[in-house]
Amino acid sequence: MLQKKICMLGSFSVGKTSLVRRFVESIFSEAYQTSIGVKVDKKVVHVNDEDVTLVLWDIHGEDVYQKIRMSYLRGMSGYLLVIDGTRRQTLDDALALNERVIQEAGKVPAILVFNKSDLVDKWEIDSTRESELVAAGWNIVRTSAKTGDSVENVFSQLAAATLIE
Amino acid sequence: MADQAHRRAPTGQAQENPPGNNHAYEELRHLIIAPEQEELADIQERLDDRARRTQDVSSVVAEAIIMRRDQRGDPSLAQALAPTVQETLRESVRRDPHPLADALFPVMGPAIRKSISEALRGMLESFNEALEHSLSARGIKWRLEALRTGKPFAEIVLMHSLLFRVEQVFLIHRHTGLVLNHVVARSVATQDASMVAGMLSAIQQFVRDSFDSKNEESLDSLNVGELEVWIEEGPDAVLAAVIRGHAPADYRLTMKEALEEIQQRYSSALENFKGDATPFLSAEELLSRLLAAQHREPVQAKKPRAALAAIAIILLIIVGWAAYSTYLLWEWRQFLHAVRGQPGIVVISYDREGGRYHIQGFKDPLAPDPNALLTQAGLDPRDAEFDLAPYYSLDDAIVGQRARQLLRPPEGVTLTENHGELRVEGTASPQWISRVRERAPYIAGVTSVDTSHLQNSHLLQLNAPKSAIESAILVFPIGRAELEPGQENAIAQTGKQIRDIVAQAARLDEQTTVELTGHSDTTGIEGTNMLLSQERADAIRAILIRGGVQAANLRTRGVGTTQPLRPEDTEENRRLNRSVTFRITFTPVSSGN
Repeated sequence: MLQKKICMLGSFSVGKTSLVRRFVESIFSEAYQTSIGVKVDKKVVHVNDEDVTLVLWDIHGEDVYQKIRMSYLRGMSGYLLVIDGTRRQTLDDALALNERVIQEAGKVPAILVFNKSDLVDKWEIDSTRESELVAAGWNIVRTSAKTGDSVENVFSQLAAATLIE
Repeated sequence: MADQAHRRAPTGQAQENPPGNNHAYEELRHLIIAPEQEELADIQERLDDRARRTQDVSSVVAEAIIMRRDQRGDPSLAQALAPTVQETLRESVRRDPHPLADALFPVMGPAIRKSISEALRGMLESFNEALEHSLSARGIKWRLEALRTGKPFAEIVLMHSLLFRVEQVFLIHRHTGLVLNHVVARSVATQDASMVAGMLSAIQQFVRDSFDSKNEESLDSLNVGELEVWIEEGPDAVLAAVIRGHAPADYRLTMKEALEEIQQRYSSALENFKGDATPFLSAEELLSRLLAAQHREPVQAKKPRAALAAIAIILLIIVGWAAYSTYLLWEWRQFLHAVRGQPGIVVISYDREGGRYHIQGFKDPLAPDPNALLTQAGLDPRDAEFDLAPYYSLDDAIVGQRARQLLRPPEGVTLTENHGELRVEGTASPQWISRVRERAPYIAGVTSVDTSHLQNSHLLQLNAPKSAIESAILVFPIGRAELEPGQENAIAQTGKQIRDIVAQAARLDEQTTVELTGHSDTTGIEGTNMLLSQERADAIRAILIRGGVQAANLRTRGVGTTQPLRPEDTEENRRLNRSVTFRITFTPVSSGN
């Protein structure tokens, strides 16, 4: 069975952890995230007639107290860049983070995840901005950890992208 | 390539040389390179011709395989062939399972037997251990611990008796933190290996980053309660061993060596790893060797025989004890049965208290001592206590014994007791006989006394004179009541004998009665004969009285022809029937009173 290391990146409280909590296998406590800055989970997806095990490194959201340890990104096959659609700042932070990620780990498949799609009326990101991002080459998926919208889809898409690499 | 060179050459020449020289050059060229060209063409043909190529390879394929196989430690040949062999086997079975089954038949039986015996041995060994652990104080403590923690007992035993045990070994791809292979010791519960491997890598990174270690130094062990994780890092691979207890330092060396071997053997696979761990499946055997364990006490290779012997001994003891108890109980019941059957003893109840038996009941003074019976039965008299009230038994044997004790029968007399009737037989003195008659009815348990077969010993001395008198016959002539002449002496002698016996009997307190019986022959009329016979008896009586015999001792009777002494077939017999005969009886003087 194929395994792929996938990182989950994004600002603090964009819902990364909520995104994985309901959809992945987990054995470690979330306390690891605040202590060592990462928690490893697992998600098996079925892509192109084969099972792919995604080993998910759910990396602690960056804040003033804690920077992301770039060494955690080593060897990843792809990543999810998660933002909170209701907070524009999270998108800006994510894009800034993305620059550093590319510098550190090179170019690998990535998906920009607009989380909290259930709160779309409170969104701070307009469609113009979204189009610009798509034009810049981003693959954007809207998800809701709350309703489960497209969550499975995000993982499958990313897995498929890593297989093409 | 050769072809290209061939083609390119003439074009180059065509530009540089004049056409006239062309032919000569061609010839020269042909002379120089034709043989090589032919060879090249031949080689080309061999390469292009699939059939020939196949033929070439077929001639060396076996040697090639052998050569490759002999490069020890290189698994790639086996890896390359494995899928094909598997597929071949599968196909063969699919087509017709029989040839393969036939081929495997000789090995299947032994393999199955071996596996069964292994399983049995394992079971016996664990039984052995369980036996050992459950019988000791330590075992009980561990059992309590198992109850408290909810862990299986076996795990607790293992935890305590192990010095160390390597429970899991992870082979991790260093760059990605993905698990390449993972082996687990028997009966160890594990978490998902891919997540654990990932987290281990994360922790490695964390430590390395946080403490700014130089030269790529890294964490080489973690301690978690009773578990230790030993980590050994290579350039591309990481080995992590999860150890319960404390492994010896040289285990680190073992890990290093294993890692080096892996790095070497899988160098290209490690470098090109893209998430497919299949090439590392073959590392399983190498990793399994790292699953070492050492017990606190050298676990002696306990032979199942030891367990069997222990069981056998325990069983023997149990069976022996049970048999002994049963025997004791049986012995006791036998004794009780004997006591109950003993005349003169009545058992009302018995019970057992503190290992001793208590028996309540009644006992005749004449009954045997129950303690003696106890000893006879092989039991210890200290094991039983008797509480027997005295009573008079009416049991025949006891009544007989009581009668014997009271009457003290002389030799020659037997006393038999039967349901209250005391039968006295034999010969005894008249004094004793009269005492029996007097006392016997008063003996407890005797309701009647039978002395009819008891004989007076004194009368024995009168037997000789009595039979002398009773053998005398006095004869008479036909139709007359006077004695035939010539019998005067005979009658006189009989008279004297009678006087003597009367006197002798009188001294023994016996009254003598002599009965004179007159007989007649069949001559004449029966009525007359009756009278005649009476007259004959009376005649003798008169003579005897005259001779001095007391009339009180004499009785007469005539029987006529009714009791002839002889059949009347001769004159002599007829004569004997005309006679008087004597019968003597004695009666005790006292009873006559």
